Amino acid sequence: MSIIVTKKLRKVFGNGVELLALNDIDLTIEEGEFLSITGPSGSGKSTLLNMLGLLDKPSGGEIWLKGKDVSRASSRERSHLRNRELGFIFQYHHLLPEFTALENVMIPQLIAGVDRKAARDRSRELLQEVGLDERLDHKPSELSGGQSQRVAVARALANRPSIVIGDEPTGNLDTKSSEMVYELLRKLNQEINQTFILVTHDMNMAKKTDRILRLVDGKIVSEMKREGEEFVEHL
Amino acid sequence: MFELTIAWRHITSSPRMMIFSVLSVALAVMVIAAMMGLMEGYRVEIISSTVENSPHLTVEPKEGEDYIHLYRTLSGMIWNYSGVEAVSPRLKGMAAAKYRDQVKGVSIIGVDPLLEDPLLGVQNDLISGNFKDLALKRHSAIVGIKLAEDLKLKTGDEFYLIRKGVSLKVTPAGYIQTGTGADESLVYLPLKTAQRLMGAGDVVSEIGVRTSDLYAAPAIASGLNLNSRYRTKSWQDRSRDLLNLLDTQKVVMHLFYLLVFVIAGFGVVNTMIMAISRRTREIGILMAMGANRESIVKIFVAESLILGPPSAIVGCLLAYAVAKLIEAFPVEVPSEVYVVSRMSVILSPEIFAYAVAFALLVDLAAGLYPAYKASRMDPVEAIASV
Repeated sequence: MSIIVTKKLRKVFGNGVELLALNDIDLTIEEGEFLSITGPSGSGKSTLLNMLGLLDKPSGGEIWLKGKDVSRASSRERSHLRNRELGFIFQYHHLLPEFTALENVMIPQLIAGVDRKAARDRSRELLQEVGLDERLDHKPSELSGGQSQRVAVARALANRPSIVIGDEPTGNLDTKSSEMVYELLRKLNQEINQTFILVTHDMNMAKKTDRILRLVDGKIVSEMKREGEEFVEHL
Repeated sequence: MFELTIAWRHITSSPRMMIFSVLSVALAVMVIAAMMGLMEGYRVEIISSTVENSPHLTVEPKEGEDYIHLYRTLSGMIWNYSGVEAVSPRLKGMAAAKYRDQVKGVSIIGVDPLLEDPLLGVQNDLISGNFKDLALKRHSAIVGIKLAEDLKLKTGDEFYLIRKGVSLKVTPAGYIQTGTGADESLVYLPLKTAQRLMGAGDVVSEIGVRTSDLYAAPAIASGLNLNSRYRTKSWQDRSRDLLNLLDTQKVVMHLFYLLVFVIAGFGVVNTMIMAISRRTREIGILMAMGANRESIVKIFVAESLILGPPSAIVGCLLAYAVAKLIEAFPVEVPSEVYVVSRMSVILSPEIFAYAVAFALLVDLAAGLYPAYKASRMDPVEAIASV
């Protein structure tokens, strides 16, 4: 069973002047894939991500998550699915500033109703996994950009989501930190078979993934799959 | 409940904002508690000073008659009622008091001091002399202090009471100060002396009754009215206007309190709206992490509710301080207008409970709107906002 399937996915914005942001997108994503979505500004990458992340509702077409049609899911259902099945990494870390790194990773678990102690233990583990066990009690203001982003990765993994979605996860980082974050994601993908869907405009970063989808004007115009060290066009 | 955790952390991490919110409600609580205390103090003072100077019950002559003839029998009847503490037959009338070249109109009350003192505690208001002397000396009188001053009476001087051709010489046995307008015209006489002056024989114009419970008077009045043709009025009957005024005042004051709380509520709403707009992105992230709309509402309502108790406590403390301040000021209020001569503030536990309940309600109500708006945010827009 594919983890995500979209059929003729459409998104239209605006009441007066209509903007067709996504134009009949057909997409299948398997478990354990490490894929990136690229394209110029305004191509609809973020919109597609918001659809896949159940942050927004499609105007037409279908989305299937783990074999279930979630296209018309209610706000409450989508919240629930976001909490259990999805993890997010944003361009800006978007950690809650009043909470420490450890607490930030705990929050999605607390929302899920996990026992506080269990949440704390898992958060510690995850922060160790991303190499931040020295910084558990630091607030975001006390962390560097790269460190904050790694906390965000740990947080995204907190509830063992089916998919982690990243919207320009390294967009705000210097080259070195970007490399580190991508290596980390790569490692997680290999070690725990975590599915990643990343949006990026940086082709260097995209080339670190296994599958690159290119979006232009709301349509998938090309797809490249990794074969060894090379990328091959697929259509 | 994770919502509480987040709400609590929000508050502790932006103390300045929350202090303003707390203060605005605390000030409202203070104003209202102090006002309520002042009103209560005024009400208690006005009732007790009016009641102090009038009997709880007054039995008046039968319809069409000017006097009560069988007052001794009637007194006996009254004593049969339980809760009766004093019964005093009184003869009232108007006369002229003359001293040297000063003449003034006075109100005389003829009484047996041994019966009248338990009725109104007259001895307590005497600033000189002994009320009981009226029983011993037939031509003695207790004179209102302002009346004495107006007549320029000196101790021991005799003066004349004149009415319809009857002229009596009396000696002041003491002076009385009730603190009301009566001080300008009141003359207590022994009953027999007053009867001579009035010339109507062995009669009284009313019987004053004191009951152990002020609020039991109306019931006794009904009983007496049923069993005799004498007309009995309770203190409540005679002070209908005053009581109605106090009740109306209460209603008006409640509207005022409501207004004060609404104003305070706006302060809270304002603070919450600001707090929420600062956290727009955070709300989006929480939603992205899977917090549903209900949880968002819970978080922000919790934030405003948590502030309830501290607001209430600070407000009550401030109210207490203000009350003490008001009472410390010796205010001169004209007794004809205000009836009472000092301002007292009575802060009963009820008043505090009332104010605290309101504080919580205001915080809850004020927090609801911003919390609801927060929950309606679109997560995508919220995350993207700066």
